[in-house]
Amino acid sequence: MTTGTTGTTTTTGTTTTTSGKPEDSRALAALTKLTRDSIERRTPEELDRGLDLLLARVDSTRSSTRRGLVRWSLVGVAAAVCTLVILQIASTSHKRLPALEPSALAYQIEGGSVLEGGYLRESGHAGIKLLFNEGSKFLFLSGTRGRLRSIDSKGARVAIEHGTASFQITQSADRRWLVEAGPFLVTVKGTVFTVSWDPSSERFELRLRHGRVVVSGPVSGGDIVLRAGQRLVVNLPRAETSIMEDQPEEAIGEPVGAPDSRAIPTSVVRPPVVRDKPAQSSPSVASVPSPVAKIEGERRWADDLAIGHWDRILEDVERTGVKAALDKASSEDLFALADAARYRRRVDLAREALLAERRRFPGSPRALDAVFLLGRVAESGEQGTTRAIAWYDEYLSRAPTGAYAAEALGRKMTLTSESNGSEEARPIAEEYLRRFPKGSYAGSARALHRAP
Amino acid sequence: MATRRSHVPLSLVVGGNPRATSDGDLARGLAAGESWAIAETWHRFAPMVLALAERALGSRSEADDLGQEVLYCAFRKIKTLREPDSMRSFVYSIAVRALKSELRRKRLRGWLTFHPPETLVDLTSRTMDMESRDLLRKCQTLLDRLSPRDRLVFILRRMESMTVEEIAAAMDLSLSTVKRSMAHASNRLLRWIAADPGLAGRLEAGRWER
Repeated sequence: MTTGTTGTTTTTGTTTTTSGKPEDSRALAALTKLTRDSIERRTPEELDRGLDLLLARVDSTRSSTRRGLVRWSLVGVAAAVCTLVILQIASTSHKRLPALEPSALAYQIEGGSVLEGGYLRESGHAGIKLLFNEGSKFLFLSGTRGRLRSIDSKGARVAIEHGTASFQITQSADRRWLVEAGPFLVTVKGTVFTVSWDPSSERFELRLRHGRVVVSGPVSGGDIVLRAGQRLVVNLPRAETSIMEDQPEEAIGEPVGAPDSRAIPTSVVRPPVVRDKPAQSSPSVASVPSPVAKIEGERRWADDLAIGHWDRILEDVERTGVKAALDKASSEDLFALADAARYRRRVDLAREALLAERRRFPGSPRALDAVFLLGRVAESGEQGTTRAIAWYDEYLSRAPTGAYAAEALGRKMTLTSESNGSEEARPIAEEYLRRFPKGSYAGSARALHRAP
Repeated sequence: MATRRSHVPLSLVVGGNPRATSDGDLARGLAAGESWAIAETWHRFAPMVLALAERALGSRSEADDLGQEVLYCAFRKIKTLREPDSMRSFVYSIAVRALKSELRRKRLRGWLTFHPPETLVDLTSRTMDMESRDLLRKCQTLLDRLSPRDRLVFILRRMESMTVEEIAAAMDLSLSTVKRSMAHASNRLLRWIAADPGLAGRLEAGRWER
């Protein structure tokens, strides 16, 4: 690292400073700005949810403190009586008072009962509620089958055998809550979420409204940590794992008749959509927009994409079927689908959409853009570097002055440098600097150009 | 004599604008267990704590958890606060201590586990594109490589714009240790950035915003 006098531009490796002090480096300033500006302010709703959790925890502490005071008072009286007795009989032995058990977990059940083996039996049609003394609440929706497997001072373990259940867990460092759903295990800290398990279709779904959970089970990539607002859907027969952002309006509904409807969410049960046979649809079903109609222009995916409704696009495709969507969507909508799939890391679907764009609309400008994006998608796959470079080469040969030319050349330079070393990447860097001296990869290109 | 209870729910009536309440009054209200004080404490300090935690931890959900812990701890320990007017510093120092422990825990977990759980990237950002998020992820990876103390000093100095004296007070360190830690963090980050020409170029070009 070389440093110079204050006020002059100096070099620190490949980063520059204006004063010679590392703290004044432009790269550090940029890193700081990027990290600082990446934070988005909490919305009032998010803050309110946080306050609800805090208040629940404070209430729980107060009630346990009150119970603790009563207990300690009783213990104090008992101790005094014992002391008097001991003094009276002039015993020299000392007896230790038994230590108090840690705050035990107790619950109250509404709408059902717990049978032998922990089986939860519903007595009506309003579902079963389990209300714990420390503030946590479980709601098993009507028709849901489950078991209370174990409960002790450190938490509880419940199993959902079929159906949907919502959980509001009061945060506590001392307790651990576990929710089984088929082959999945959800490890919970303070949070609010809904879990569904359908053993017949082997479909698992978890909607997380607040906090954080870890899901383990037959999902690719080991344990999955979910954060607030995310929805995990695992379809075991299709070996599909998707993580989506819940749209606020469709994220979580309100349970009917719940004592605290803000606190215990339920999942929205969507009506089944009848496909391909609108003439046979009942009037109520006919009001549901047909996904085919959407593809034909009733609601354009490009519009959905523009307002960030990526999941809505992917849900349309799921309803319609991938092949039908790829065969019927317009050029713009195919491109929107590819973007939505990329944003949701559905790499295969993104690739299919881009290939369909190229195949069905070979002369359109979007087909050229698709070539570049196929390169980006290839980069996401394993051993995709060679394939990605080939796509970038094709783009550069077909559209040397295209909108993505600088980006394609920059990516090619980066990938070549990473896979084959700076020696091979240097000519590409020189070409980049010649063609795009102020491009976004110019810094990297200069560094490669200078590299020994 | 039988008494009848009113079925009208009780509601809290707070005199004046809670925002006009001083930190000292707020601390005294919290110590007295007033419900309005808990809510006001949350609304006044949670945004600050959550933003600090998210910058330091690089995760919104972990920041949420830590925010809960910090404000709950403030509620539990408020009676130990000798000068109620210094409540902001009180909350800040709890947050800094909690962050330090959390960063240490994370580092320890990283050493002990071969396959740490995947941390999902925030895809909901309205202000950043894919490239920028990729760049941000790289920056967070570099920050993860710093020691908890260096990282926290760097965050407090660069992102929270705290003075060296304030950092020293909040982290219970000497001034020289803070300065040394800051220089150490800056030098290491610069070295790591320089080792990645792509990252250096993109940072120096400052082209991450739409």
